[in-house]
Amino acid sequence: MLLDERESKALCDKLLGYVTADDAEVSVTSGVSSHLRFADNAFRTSGHREDTDVSVTVWIDKKKGSATGNELDAASLRGVVEQAEQLARVSPVDREYVPSLGPQNYRATKGFVEATANIALAPRAKAIGDVIAACEKENVVGAGFHHTRGSIVAGASRHGNFYFYRSSLASLSVTARTREGNGSGYFLRNHFDVSKLDTARVGRVALQKALQSRQPRALDPGSYTVILEPQAVADLLGLFSFRFDARMADEGRSPFSAAGGKTKVGQRIFDERLSVYSDPWNPELPGPPVAFGGIPARKFFLVKNGVLENLVYNRYWAQQKHAEPSPGPVNVIIEGGEPPTTQPAMIEATAKGLVVSRFWYIRPTDPRTAALTGLTRDGVWYVANGKVQFPVHNFRFNQSLLALLAPGNVELIGAPERVSRSESQGESAALFPAIKVKEFHFTSPSEAV
Amino acid sequence: MAPSRRGFLKASGVAIGAATLPPWLLELEAAETAAVDRLQLAEIALSTVRRLGATYADARINRYRFESILTRERQVQQVERSQSFGLGVRVLAGGAWGFASSCVVNADEARQAAQQAIEMAKANAAYQRKRISVVPAEKVSAKWKSAFEIDPFERPLDDKIQFLLKLNETAMRVKGVSFVNSQLEFVNEQKFLATSDGSIIEQYIIRSSPVISVTAVDSAKGDFAQRRSLPGPKSIGYEYVEKASWQAEAEQAANEAVEKVKARPVEPGKYDLVLHPTHLWLTIHESVGHSTELDRALGWEADYAGTSFLTPDKLGKFQFGSKRVNFFADRTQPQGLATVGYDDEGVAAQRWYLVKDGVFVNWQTTRELAALIGRTSSNGCLHADSWGSVPFARMPNVSLEPSQDKVSLEDLMAGVEKGVLIYGDGSYSIDHQRYNFQFGGESFWEVKGGRKGAMLRDVAYQSRTPDFWGACDGLGGEDTFELGGALNDGKGEPSQANAVSHGCPVARFRQINVLNTGPRPA
Repeated sequence: MLLDERESKALCDKLLGYVTADDAEVSVTSGVSSHLRFADNAFRTSGHREDTDVSVTVWIDKKKGSATGNELDAASLRGVVEQAEQLARVSPVDREYVPSLGPQNYRATKGFVEATANIALAPRAKAIGDVIAACEKENVVGAGFHHTRGSIVAGASRHGNFYFYRSSLASLSVTARTREGNGSGYFLRNHFDVSKLDTARVGRVALQKALQSRQPRALDPGSYTVILEPQAVADLLGLFSFRFDARMADEGRSPFSAAGGKTKVGQRIFDERLSVYSDPWNPELPGPPVAFGGIPARKFFLVKNGVLENLVYNRYWAQQKHAEPSPGPVNVIIEGGEPPTTQPAMIEATAKGLVVSRFWYIRPTDPRTAALTGLTRDGVWYVANGKVQFPVHNFRFNQSLLALLAPGNVELIGAPERVSRSESQGESAALFPAIKVKEFHFTSPSEAV
Repeated sequence: MAPSRRGFLKASGVAIGAATLPPWLLELEAAETAAVDRLQLAEIALSTVRRLGATYADARINRYRFESILTRERQVQQVERSQSFGLGVRVLAGGAWGFASSCVVNADEARQAAQQAIEMAKANAAYQRKRISVVPAEKVSAKWKSAFEIDPFERPLDDKIQFLLKLNETAMRVKGVSFVNSQLEFVNEQKFLATSDGSIIEQYIIRSSPVISVTAVDSAKGDFAQRRSLPGPKSIGYEYVEKASWQAEAEQAANEAVEKVKARPVEPGKYDLVLHPTHLWLTIHESVGHSTELDRALGWEADYAGTSFLTPDKLGKFQFGSKRVNFFADRTQPQGLATVGYDDEGVAAQRWYLVKDGVFVNWQTTRELAALIGRTSSNGCLHADSWGSVPFARMPNVSLEPSQDKVSLEDLMAGVEKGVLIYGDGSYSIDHQRYNFQFGGESFWEVKGGRKGAMLRDVAYQSRTPDFWGACDGLGGEDTFELGGALNDGKGEPSQANAVSHGCPVARFRQINVLNTGPRPA
């Protein structure tokens, strides 16, 4: 069972009570998760997990040590603290030490639903059984992953700070493949409220994509105009907000570093309609009320109207640079600054291009330009004269994200919707729109379906 | 044989007297308590599920310890020790799996986890369409310990910090170096398994991983380059830190980072490639290791990692690569990260060919997978990354056999007119059926007229698995064989990490497509 706020506070206090060091931060994370995985139209694995971790970081004469454990009896808790203190005693001085925070004001967010954290097994088995039955009816082979979790995070400091928040998540991804192996579709959705996760819809959309992607034709790789569905945007940009680190940029080793030892803050780096920000109180995407280092989270722009507005400062680097530590990002939202364009309208406005459903195995190739390689997967369609013409084979791409979103390359932007990066298996969440770009670089074909 | 816990405690107690060694004493005491109870707790879980109708079950009670030290330049950024202890019960009932786990290890929790696992299996069985079964395994009672000379968890922390700071100092002495990051990471798994077959197995596993990364920045141009160390993690003790030539590696990484920032970008086109084992292990992992997993071939990973172009009909027929190419799976390989005594359902470690004389000849299997292809035994590939994770098919060490002749790196380069020599693993990506891949690296050198030339940068090569291995026309001898690997190969839903090694000699590949991944269009 998940710990509540009172129990978490008591555990934090107990840990702090064992501390003899000059300064300390402690945290408690507790989670309950459950999953049902299916493939080849049958259940494959299913599991339930409960765990609680305690972490302790201490400083003795500014020397730091950290320890983590998951045994909660008094002797083990004391052991974790003693371990951290022993490590601190034999460590060199932590030159980046910043005293732990005193009491902060955290504004609560609403991202927890009890029924999500404690999923009922029989209804879940039936819901996934129904998805499999739908696949069987269309003579398609279904695979997928349904998982739920509830978790709490609590933290406290020697200087009197304390925070606690709960979150929950229910997620379903479905991959539907035709028996002949010539078509494949994928759909993933998640929500913090299990009652808002439409499992039948997830299965239905994956099925439709599988049927619509049958018998793809080969196209030559090259530069294409591309309509990126929100899932494809999530796959490409889902981790991008974590590259806005101020220290890396100041040190000259980031895509936001500029010549002469400067950064690109204040420069228009993206299309002027695009804004990238974090908002813990967005009702569709509630984030934690606590940003990195215990800083209270608040709405925080990285990019506003295409201009690089902020880089992300931790408490140490903020102190070095006389800046404020950043209150985010704790989630990520991308918006266009004009009425959104629907995906059908994007297709109608395309003389020649491709619709990309999702990407796979995305890895960085050049940190200077935020360049990535990866592949399309589970549905690419050729568009000509404003209409989808036929499915095409997958491609490998090599594409700089800075070039992708640069002024002049973004043509149309859709309405943001809640999506999750497919390589996160539904664990992440973001509000991203479909985006139509003028040029996207495909470098080789892939026969994989 | 697993170490005696009392002996281990005693040894630790002596070392604690040195004062520089933070004690694992309290944890070890807890472990000892658990050791006394584990068989009894497992029996509670197994008897509960037997009574409730399980046709097969296993109980695992495991402790995992991690130590990590992170430094940059002249400072220590993080020193952390963590551990995780818990129990997991897996049951097969009504033709469906159920699994439940808890971080609280006592008789009540063992009983409750067993009941939860059965409830889950039965809830799933009501809608299950294909009944699951497992092939038999021999009943085993064993203790096994991985091979190491010095347990890194018994080594003074100060030694480790001084080792890293000295590495950083060595790198920083090289003119043009801007930043240095280094890390030591140690893993210890203490695993206990009891199965409803009657097997009882204890294992004690150690893994060690030193890494250094050097960055050179040309701030006037706003340019930078990074070079990471080449040797990978291994299942070996602290002797890996003490005996390998890490200072020389740091100096070489520093020199190459400085050289790389000024190096000439590669001209895209077709090249012959000469690949060092510090690079080629990752290509083997992605294109051979994953494509020969039977669960992928059967579509079980379709929703995440994908399927495999090696469909079941290709077994024994498909020409995977040139005739000189032989790949073997080996859970007994010395220093291999996936080397174990037994897998997580009690099957003994084995060695077998996956590709022989260029032909695809065998799979990686578990007891469940073996049953699906008419086999009577598993080759031992079931693994879970935690007491709280559901075990499933994971990769053994998969390696490329060297040439039986004495062939050197220079011998292979001698046969190349226009080529690239690549060291170290860099960017990596492969499609979901393991055809189309692209790999970068750490250091790239022009090969011209049979000799190593100037350094290049922004190199990646792209190929198709059977084409690439078909283009292999030269392998180095045993002297060039090295083991690379990773601690964190991800697979499955929920995703689990697997530690796995891949050995290979230097190797040559003809006419492979090379891209420039730098700021110029690829």
